[in-house]
Amino acid sequence: MYSLEIRDLHHYYGDFRVLNAINLKILPGQIVALVGPSGCGKSTLLQAILGTHPPSEGVILADGKPVTKPSRDVGIVYQHYSLYDFLTAEENVAFGLKLDETNLPSRIFSFKKYNQLRKQHLNKSRDFLVKVGLEAAAGRYPAELSGGMRQRVAIAQAFVLKPKIVLLDEPFGALDETTRQELQMMLLRFYQENLKARQRGEQPEYTIIIVTHELNEAIYVADRVIGLSRYHTQGDKGAMIVYDRPCPVFAPDDPKDLSKIVEQREELRKAVFDETYMKEHSKYVSFWRELALDSQKAQDAESKNAG
Amino acid sequence: MIRRPIPHWLAITLGVCGVVVMLLAYSFLSARQTGKNENQKVIPGWQTFKQGASRLVRPQGRTDSPKPSMLVTDIKATYWRLFLGVSVGVGLSITMGVAMGAYRFIESLLAPVMSFLAKIPPTAMLPIYFVLVGTDQKMFTAMVALGVFFTMSQSIYQAIAGEVKTVAIDKAYTLGASDAEIIYEVIWKQILPSVLDNIRLQIGPAMIFLLAAEMLVGGEGMGFRIRMESRVLDMSVVYIYLAILGFTGLMADYFLLWLRRKLCPWCIR
Repeated sequence: MYSLEIRDLHHYYGDFRVLNAINLKILPGQIVALVGPSGCGKSTLLQAILGTHPPSEGVILADGKPVTKPSRDVGIVYQHYSLYDFLTAEENVAFGLKLDETNLPSRIFSFKKYNQLRKQHLNKSRDFLVKVGLEAAAGRYPAELSGGMRQRVAIAQAFVLKPKIVLLDEPFGALDETTRQELQMMLLRFYQENLKARQRGEQPEYTIIIVTHELNEAIYVADRVIGLSRYHTQGDKGAMIVYDRPCPVFAPDDPKDLSKIVEQREELRKAVFDETYMKEHSKYVSFWRELALDSQKAQDAESKNAG
Repeated sequence: MIRRPIPHWLAITLGVCGVVVMLLAYSFLSARQTGKNENQKVIPGWQTFKQGASRLVRPQGRTDSPKPSMLVTDIKATYWRLFLGVSVGVGLSITMGVAMGAYRFIESLLAPVMSFLAKIPPTAMLPIYFVLVGTDQKMFTAMVALGVFFTMSQSIYQAIAGEVKTVAIDKAYTLGASDAEIIYEVIWKQILPSVLDNIRLQIGPAMIFLLAAEMLVGGEGMGFRIRMESRVLDMSVVYIYLAILGFTGLMADYFLLWLRRKLCPWCIR
C-alpha cells in the first residue's frame, strides 16, 4: 500500500491549467523533496494533498483512502504559522492527541477518565519533545521560543499522531543557517529510524514531502527528489512532474559530502529550472525504474553470495 | 528625553502628588466660592460633603418601618442594571461574533445589518426602548445589552478575522478536530484576550447609556439621583456619586486586567 497516491490530477484556475496530469506514488518511509520554480504550482499541489483545495480533476489517496478534506491522515508543518500561541510546547504537541482521541462531550462528562488520558498524552508529548531535543522547553509558550525551537515543536506536533504522510512547506525557510542544519540532521535521524523499522519488518513511521527552494537541502535530507515545472515540450498545458529520481542518503553524523550533491544539483537545475531547456517531460522521471534496477542488483548479489 | 525610564519610587511619588494636587485645587476653588456665598453648594466644602454623606446613608421612610438609605438603593439599582445589561450583551455578542467569524454564511447575512445598527447611538434609540419594552428593569437591561451588543459583536468578529489564521484552522483539522472543537479549542482560546479587552472597553459606554436612561426615567438609580440633586443645586451628593462611579470603574478595569493575566498567561501585550 502506498502512503500517498495521486492519479491523473489536473488543476485549473478559471481557464488556466496549473497542474497537468500529475501522477505520483510514495511508499511508507520515503522522504521526498519537492522542488520547482516559483509559481509552478507547488502550493496548489500541496493544498490538494492536504485536502483544503481539492483538485479540479483526479484522485488523491492517502493510505488507500480518498482525500477530500483535511484530516488526521495528512499532517502539515507551515513555514510561519506553526504553533498555537495559547498552548505550551508540550500542550501543542499533545493537542493532536487530545483532538484525535477525545471529543468535547467526553472531556466534559467523563472528566475523570479524560484527566487520566490527559496525563498519558502529556507524557507522550514530552517523550516526543525529548526526541527533537526540546525537553527543557516543554512548559514554555511559543512566544518564548526561538524560530528553530518552534519548528521542532511543530514537527513533533505533526508526527505524534503518526499520520500517513506529513507535508513540510518550506519548514526551515525563515531560520538561520546553523539552526537549519540542526533541523536537517533531525530529519536524517528520522530517516535512520525508518531504515531500522524496515529492517525489523515494521512499517516505517516517517513519510514526508518537504517543499524547499534550497536544492542542496532537497538532495541532502531526502531520498527522492521530485521536480515540478512548466519547462518541457507540453509546458503550455501546465506544470508536470519533470524530475523524479532517487538521491544519495546521508547518515546524520556523516560529514556533509558536497561532491555527492553537486552533480545531481546541476542536473536538477537544468531539468527543472532552465527555461530554455525543452525536453520530453518524462526524460528525468525514472525513480521506479531505478528502484527496480537496484533491487534486481541486490538480489543478484545475494544469489551470487549464496551460490 | 522622550521615553527615558524614571525610577520606580519617583513614579509612585508623582502619582500621589497628582492626587494631592487635585484635592488641594478643589479645596481652593471651594473656599473661594464659599467666600462669595456662605451657603453655596455648587462647589461644596468638605463640611458640606459630610452633610450630604449623612443624608445619603440615613434610612428612608418612617422610623417604625425604615427603608434602606438612598445610597444603598441607588447603588444596588444601578449596578444590578449594569451587571445584567453587560452580561446579557456580552453573552449575545460572543455568540453572534463567533458565529459570524466562523461561518461565511452568517457573516454575509448579518455583517451589513450589524455594521449599520452599530452606527446608531444607543442613547438616541432610548425612545424606542421606552415604547417597546416600557420603563422598568427590562428596559434598562435591553438598552445596555443592545448598546454593548452591536459594537462588541463586531469587534469580536473582527478579532476572529484578524487573529485566527485560516492555516491554524486547517492545521487543527489535520490534527483531528471537529467543527465544534475548532470553535472552542482554536477560535475561542485565541480570541479570549480580545474578548476580555472588549468587555473592559465596553463598560464605559454601557455606563453612559445606563446613566442617560436613568436620568430620563426611573425613581431610583445613580443617574436619577444625580439629576434630582443637581436640580436643587446641591452638588455634595452629586460629587460623591461621581467619585463612586469613577472608583468602581477603576476597580472593574483592574479586575478584568487581572483576569486576563490569569486566564491568558500566554498573551503578554
